[in-house]
Amino acid sequence: MFEINELILKKAKEFGFGDVVVLSYETNRRQVRFANNEITVAKNWHERKAELFVELDKRVAGTTITELSEENIERTLKTLLANMKGMAPKEDYYGIAEGPFDYKDIPETFDKAIVELDEPNEYVERAINAALEEGAKRVAGVLYTDHDRLYLTTSNGVEAFDEGTGIEISVRAFIGDLESGHGTNSVRVLKKFDPESAGRKAGEIAKLAQNPEQGPEGRFDVIFDPLAFANLLSYMSFMTSAYAAEAGFSFLVNKLGQKVAAEGVTIKDIGNLPNGYGTRKFDDEGVPTRETTIIENGTFRTFLLNTSLAKKYGAETTANAGLVMPHAWNIVLEPGDYSKEELFDEVKKGIYITNVWYTRFQNYVAGDFSTIPRDGIFLVENGELKPIRNIRVSDNLQRILENIVALGKDLYHIHWWEVNTPVSTPYVLVKDVGITRATK
Amino acid sequence: MHELVEFAVEKALELGAEYAEARFEEKSGTSLAMKNGNPEGLEVLADRGIGVRVLVNGGMGFASTNVLTKESVAEAVKKAVKLAKAASKVRNEPIRFSEEDFHEVYYEVKMRKDFRDVSPEEKLELLREIEEEVKATGVNVPMRFLRYFDQVWHKIIINSDGAFIESVIPRVSTMYNLVVFENGQMEQAPFVQRAFSGGLELIEKDEPWKWAVKDVMALKRLIYEGEKPPEGKVDLVISPEVAGIAVHESVGHPYEADRIMGREAAQAGESFVKPDMLGERIGSDVVTVIEDPTIPNSWGFYLYDDEGVKARPRYLIRNGIINEFLTNREYAYKLGQRSNASARAINYNREPIVRMANTYLAPGDHSFEELIEDIKLGVYMVSFNEWNIDDRRYQQRYIGREAYLIENGEIKQPVRRPILEITTRALWSSVDAVGKEVEMFPGTCGKGEPGQGVPVWMGGAHARLREIPLRRP
Repeated sequence: MFEINELILKKAKEFGFGDVVVLSYETNRRQVRFANNEITVAKNWHERKAELFVELDKRVAGTTITELSEENIERTLKTLLANMKGMAPKEDYYGIAEGPFDYKDIPETFDKAIVELDEPNEYVERAINAALEEGAKRVAGVLYTDHDRLYLTTSNGVEAFDEGTGIEISVRAFIGDLESGHGTNSVRVLKKFDPESAGRKAGEIAKLAQNPEQGPEGRFDVIFDPLAFANLLSYMSFMTSAYAAEAGFSFLVNKLGQKVAAEGVTIKDIGNLPNGYGTRKFDDEGVPTRETTIIENGTFRTFLLNTSLAKKYGAETTANAGLVMPHAWNIVLEPGDYSKEELFDEVKKGIYITNVWYTRFQNYVAGDFSTIPRDGIFLVENGELKPIRNIRVSDNLQRILENIVALGKDLYHIHWWEVNTPVSTPYVLVKDVGITRATK
Repeated sequence: MHELVEFAVEKALELGAEYAEARFEEKSGTSLAMKNGNPEGLEVLADRGIGVRVLVNGGMGFASTNVLTKESVAEAVKKAVKLAKAASKVRNEPIRFSEEDFHEVYYEVKMRKDFRDVSPEEKLELLREIEEEVKATGVNVPMRFLRYFDQVWHKIIINSDGAFIESVIPRVSTMYNLVVFENGQMEQAPFVQRAFSGGLELIEKDEPWKWAVKDVMALKRLIYEGEKPPEGKVDLVISPEVAGIAVHESVGHPYEADRIMGREAAQAGESFVKPDMLGERIGSDVVTVIEDPTIPNSWGFYLYDDEGVKARPRYLIRNGIINEFLTNREYAYKLGQRSNASARAINYNREPIVRMANTYLAPGDHSFEELIEDIKLGVYMVSFNEWNIDDRRYQQRYIGREAYLIENGEIKQPVRRPILEITTRALWSSVDAVGKEVEMFPGTCGKGEPGQGVPVWMGGAHARLREIPLRRP
């Protein structure tokens, strides 16, 4: 694809564009969906496309070219030029990164065995069987395999290539209508793939969740399973983008250098995380990805930036381009030193939430939100778990971070339908979490 | 392009598929954003490809490609057939489709003002108008994020049962997020969208800046005059916007047949509604909920679904009784019915699944004055921000953005964040009167994996709910 990138770059220069970025993809993705213990559909996607970003006297535009003939490339550039000429400039545009850069291979991001894998249905059956063995009656979920090639060429001297693979599964197990559990497993290399662990966890929780009673309301100490806390951190990851802050979608606005979480809480974005589902060698302008500490021991240190936004705020890019909107690659909540048992022992009377969904905000800038626990929910009383149902977490995101009192010592890497940005998080204990429910 | 689509269907049959469907989609359009007065640049949308779906031995396979050559499409067909065959071995029973009547049809939505003939700068003027009108209110709005979006959506659907449907549907929308900061307090109107199928004239006539001004003024008034809402059992009048989200979440979604049958269990979840609940009472007599893809210029508009079945209005609830589910061919067959044309895909690279289009609470016979005249103490919820519902669609919550106290039949001062947190059955059983006028609001409905955000309208008439346990933060 580099020839196509070069061709687009050359033509764009001939048209008189300033900054030009061409990011081309070749992707092969497979999906196997299942429900009621059977495969509902199997899919394959093959895509080839070039994402193009151009600048002309501080006017910026982007498009995707899928028909990669010379004729269509010229036509596209001509259209962009005609459209941009009359447009007002983006006054706060400050350019793209100056290359070239050196790139290091990141361990556990590519595995030929995934590319060559002919038939993944066996993994689906293994996951289903693991859940059934735990006592589940109905199992649903999805398996993906991924193989991506990325080619990046910029007008600032960048030519970069990355090739990645991945395999992941998400499993939800049911006993009755109200008793379910969920487990996931997302990895980049085949030998680390453990579909049974996802099925087993889903089945175990479903079994524990039998005969739930209406849950209480009030303020409770809550243990968030990694699956549940990953959901909150995934929503938060969007709010760590400087773009989201400017657009009025972040509770972190005007809080640089301030305490926004409990003392022991450190949250990072790690773009070069080995075996991370969001890991890439470089961002969309070619800057090598790296580790960025967003919240350090409770203090908010930086928004995620690209080069233009970094220059606007007199900072260095955090290698999170998005040419328009910087975004996180893999969010990591640093672990603590509690074993799972010790964490549960901390709770005299509280609630264990194994999964949540439908997180929505009343006010993004204040951080007020609610989210709905699903799958097993348990009252925790002196080490015993009692299944409950029909409750809602109604609180404030910053308050949740400030009220973290204990972190487990093991990290779980979570990526599924409800957790868009991959998140590594331990079990998390938060005190005084607001719990509400429908009373009619 | 027709030939390539036909080729895909023929190729699949040749390779042993018992059913084959190919869908070409092409989307072209523009997207513009403005952040705090700064134009954020132009995004030119140009996407096209072919998706192929087949049944082989009762297993379903799907493959898509955006490389539009015969070789590449043949490769996609081969993959779909192979995947379907392999999937058929992990099934308890084969997938079958309902019998339907199919047509050869071309239809399009005409634009009076064709947005393809309008420059991005002129489109940006629409956002500038919002920006300027908001400024002119004198209210402090430090964060303003505005978006304009248009696209022409061209589809060709051909299946082996005789469907040949080509459609061209233009869509146009604006969206704003406005953060009001006054008197040391901050309130927000996030993701407020106006959206239509049709030309630019629809947005111009709708005047999104008027909605923005209304929101900003209401939030300012809320900050200065807002009081705590009453708690405990009071009467609640919900606006068409709030009725819209409520019918979408607690009527439309739980009536999706694929969800009822467990196909979405690991994603959007299942449903409290079961097949044998058809004919059962779920709301009061005055509650009728209609799902209608055929409303002209609606955001969710289509005349034939993505399986080629002709669309019609669906009565999900008729006078309080569960009347009909939303179905595609797979689940219509399972239910022993005909499909009611709810299969939608968001792009060539997605499978068609059961979706809503335009869902609304059908009008009743009350004027707004009649709805509130006998309320001693209550709340009128005009708009909402936070909302969610559990994955069986039974426990929901909507928090008011703009809301007012009702006292002795009169609308009084604004109230802050009244919370309606209620079960689906209680919600629809509490309605004792419905207004005369219907109004619709756009949204993007999320479902499917990978996600398929489809354009929908939701709305309806005002509704009066008696003795609601209202909460406050």
